[in-house]
Amino acid sequence: MEGLWWEINGTVLLTEKDLGRTVVESRACSRVSQGEMSAWTMGARSLDKRGSFFKLIDTIVSELGELKQEMVQTDVSLENGLEPNEAHSMVRHKDDGFSEEKDVKTYPRDSGYDSLSNRLSILDRLLHTHPIWLQLSLSEEEAAEVLQSQPPGIFLVRKSTKMQKKVLSLRLPCELGAPLKEFAIKESTYTFSLEGSGISFADLFRLIAFYCISRDVLPFTLKLPYAISTAKTEARLEELAQLGLNFWSSPADNKPPNPPPPHRPLSSDGVCPASRQLCLINGVHSIKTRTPSELECSQTNGALCFINPLFLKVHSQDLGGGLKRPCTRTPNANGTERPRSPPPRPPPPAINSVHTSPQLSRTETQASMPETVNHNKHGNVAQLGTKPTPIPPPRLKKQASFLEAEGSAKTLPGGRPYPGRELQPEAPGPGTAGRPGGAPPAEAPGDCTRAAGPEPRAPWRGGRQRLSDMSISTSSSDSLEFDRSMPLFGYEADTNSSLEDCEEESDQETMAPPIKSKKKRNSSFVLPKLVKSQLRKMSGVFSSFLTPEKRMVRRIAELSRDKCTYFGCLVQDYVSFLQENKECHVSSTDMLQTIRQFMTQVKNYLAQSSELDPPIESLIPEDQIDVVLEKAMHKCILKPLKGHVEAMLRDFHMADGSWKQLKENLQLVRQRNPQELGVFAPTPDIVDVEKIKVKFMTMQKMYSPEKKVMLLLRVCKLIYTVMENNSGRMYGADDFLPVLTYVIAQCDMLELDTEIEYMMELLDPSLLHGEGGYYLTSAYGALSLIKNFQEEQAARLLSSETRDTLRQWHKRRTTNRTIPSVDDFQNYLRVAFQEVNSGCTGKTLLVRPYVTTEDVCQLCAEKFKVGDPEEYSLFLFVDETWQQLAEDTYPQKIKAELHSRPQPHIFHFVYKRVKNDPYGVIFQNGEEDLTTS
Amino acid sequence: MMAIRELKVCLLGDTGVGKSSIVCRFVQDHFDHNISPTIGASFMTKTVPCGNELHKFLIWDTAGQERFHSLAPMYYRGSAAAVIVYDITKQDSFHTLKKWVKELKEHGPENIVMAIAGNKCDLSDIREVPLKDAKEYAESIGAVVVETSAKNAINIEELFQGISRQIPPLDPHENGNSGAIKLGKPATQASRRCC
Repeated sequence: MEGLWWEINGTVLLTEKDLGRTVVESRACSRVSQGEMSAWTMGARSLDKRGSFFKLIDTIVSELGELKQEMVQTDVSLENGLEPNEAHSMVRHKDDGFSEEKDVKTYPRDSGYDSLSNRLSILDRLLHTHPIWLQLSLSEEEAAEVLQSQPPGIFLVRKSTKMQKKVLSLRLPCELGAPLKEFAIKESTYTFSLEGSGISFADLFRLIAFYCISRDVLPFTLKLPYAISTAKTEARLEELAQLGLNFWSSPADNKPPNPPPPHRPLSSDGVCPASRQLCLINGVHSIKTRTPSELECSQTNGALCFINPLFLKVHSQDLGGGLKRPCTRTPNANGTERPRSPPPRPPPPAINSVHTSPQLSRTETQASMPETVNHNKHGNVAQLGTKPTPIPPPRLKKQASFLEAEGSAKTLPGGRPYPGRELQPEAPGPGTAGRPGGAPPAEAPGDCTRAAGPEPRAPWRGGRQRLSDMSISTSSSDSLEFDRSMPLFGYEADTNSSLEDCEEESDQETMAPPIKSKKKRNSSFVLPKLVKSQLRKMSGVFSSFLTPEKRMVRRIAELSRDKCTYFGCLVQDYVSFLQENKECHVSSTDMLQTIRQFMTQVKNYLAQSSELDPPIESLIPEDQIDVVLEKAMHKCILKPLKGHVEAMLRDFHMADGSWKQLKENLQLVRQRNPQELGVFAPTPDIVDVEKIKVKFMTMQKMYSPEKKVMLLLRVCKLIYTVMENNSGRMYGADDFLPVLTYVIAQCDMLELDTEIEYMMELLDPSLLHGEGGYYLTSAYGALSLIKNFQEEQAARLLSSETRDTLRQWHKRRTTNRTIPSVDDFQNYLRVAFQEVNSGCTGKTLLVRPYVTTEDVCQLCAEKFKVGDPEEYSLFLFVDETWQQLAEDTYPQKIKAELHSRPQPHIFHFVYKRVKNDPYGVIFQNGEEDLTTS
Repeated sequence: MMAIRELKVCLLGDTGVGKSSIVCRFVQDHFDHNISPTIGASFMTKTVPCGNELHKFLIWDTAGQERFHSLAPMYYRGSAAAVIVYDITKQDSFHTLKKWVKELKEHGPENIVMAIAGNKCDLSDIREVPLKDAKEYAESIGAVVVETSAKNAINIEELFQGISRQIPPLDPHENGNSGAIKLGKPATQASRRCC
């Protein structure tokens, strides 16, 4: 049910957050009523309609309650100690009689194998143990060697150098001839899939998890090594993972002849174990597949989208009548009004029902009565403490280190359940906009959050699969983490307790009192490790709802805030260095280029770093890795720096006068009519200009240069639309550039200058050749024209100055500022004065670009106190030759030209006597260039 | 699957010689619906097969008016090829073309492929620039040359095919996508024409 899917180009993208788990919980999941699923589907399809989203959320929330009930039922043993005696009782489940009997404390936990292993889904196991099976650098031979000794079904994922693709190396049974077969993994822009299969997955783990359950195009399903499939705890998985490739040759990789029977502990309620039978498919105990019938349901209901017909076919035999869920909706036993489908499976132990029911009611009323809820929860808190800790999901484990600090920090201090800290920065313009794509999932979180997230009562701890969780979590992960941590209280020891099922986790929502409990904890407890991992788990839940791309970006952003990692240190140190040392850059360009350089370097580091775990290659298709990393850089570097950078840019531009220059010229240009600017096409009217201004203002709020460029493109598109005016005529640059210049002048926004600079310098250089780069260049050009408008009219020369500026810009972008800055030669001219007796002295003169040699000579005569200026003249010494400059030439122009040559030339302007040149060459080769100041 | 190489191509030439008409014709004939169109005609893309590669032309149009001349270096920077267009009915435009060639030689990217297009060949009865002149000039600078008519779709494909042929094949050791785009050759940056 948590599964959210959407179709991209006809392929189905599975975005189960946790495939394995979902399957395990199929029973509960399958319970999801059609209402929910269809609502969800609708929501996904029409994200833009906020209304439907809210509706969706409502539905989800209410369905959630139902689900919990069901799940409670399935749980063999549960935390009933927690049972809320509160007012919730009204919502009691029919079964609550049971619950009383089974107090957690008194009732011995079911130590059954079953519940334990169930806790760890296949996906969890895969995530934990990727160092074992994900061996990208393994050669074919090595892979063959490893798999040789393994039973059929065991697999590795490696990268084939031949195909330049990842491949799934699968051990075949001996009777098939070849010992192993390789299946190429296709990576599209968004998804991973096996070649030949129509099913795509958001990442590699989900792909593998799926093929552990369904063979699809494989000869049979994949098997996890026995040690992995039977590991009872994450810790054990971690231990195994430590072995890495050595696992395969170590004793740890034992292969017991028979997998332990999937036995289910007796449940007091006599629940029929049928539902669990499926989990043995493939010997992986923890997984239950859905039967085809369920799948069918899921199609309509949207629970899971195993839409591959093959899958359905393969499993059609499995269909048991019992598995089909009746679709009838029955009123809740406890009087909940909502119609629902009865649980597909036999009734569960009633223990939890009590809690569940309260939850249910709460959830339903959630929006309207948050405060009350809190109270209730609070009451629950104490009880929660007794609860067994749910095992943190493995995948997050590695992140634990970085999350810990943060998580605890966030959790503890806040009396408020949802810090909104994460939320806030994102929600407003830049954040949201910064998000790539705006794919359905992206939007969903935002909306959901608004509806459900903030509610303090949302201690939805368990439901990895629950939609509601996801919605909450996405935006306000902090709050979730918090809530999450509550139940952990007494549990450290209990990793081995069998109690928690995934289902149980979801139940906890019911009980976890968010707010108060937090406080309590804060004061009295140091966060136990488990709690922390819980926190992580929570954030993992959220992030798993996102697309892999967003998940990865988010993960990197988290990493960047953790100073315990090298990457985090790098980023944090750099950010704070920049903020604290305003003087460290000589110009705006210098500053921006340094930042760009830093981002590129960090990107390279991250691409190879082992700090990203699981490795980025397993989550992101290869051709997208750079894109994703770039986005992550924007988020962890540009986002915190945006304000600082903007302020610095303003300072620089104030200081160098370009702000003022632009301002003055803008006024001049605005007074011109379009024709005077070379415009011969329809121009935007006031209304359009206003629209454009709005876009530009939105642009200012973004921190991502790419998002800014997207807005620039929209502006340009609008301009084209106006120009074309339905005429069907296509306008090229001859027409477009003047109109763009006109529009930019009309907008009268000085800030555009810094915006353009920000984009040009910080945009991923690989994008500069594309459409974004083109219009960015045009906008830059238009602004340059405006800035130089006055001069342009005075002298053509100025256009050459603009050109120099531009040239400098290019040069600086590409070579790392070995070049003098524009200022170096725009207004100053260094002139050497050579006297026969006194040798050579140099002075830097303030010389406007259009000053002639004649004027410079006059100036020199003054500065060098020459008595007989008519005897002297200005010479250019370049390439070992002397040229006397004619009186009507422009030394600054000459200098600019020399600077602009591809090869640097050493040259000097020398003021000296026209005749008798006793010394000839006076400068040694390689001497510092005197002419640049 | 063939590797796609992105090739930046800039369009130079006097205003009114038909630069963008040529590109529009090139891009819009056999329009590929799979490729999302660009927002306007100043920047257009088109992918054509060449040998065992796909060449994706990223075509940067420039404004031909003299007042925009100073911006040109930003546009031709990093180009793998330049299409310089003149109007066969306007001798002046051929003169401008020569100035562009000179500028590119001096300040353009190293090894930039130059293609000369004498546009409006449908108006050959009022021609001012003899084909022979153009051919000789092109030969002297090692450029591709064709007379085109954007209006009648003459030689448009050929023009770009000529460019494709002149693009050196990818160095197998180089990474596929960026090979053709020379980023950051210092020599390519400068722009300086006599003013």
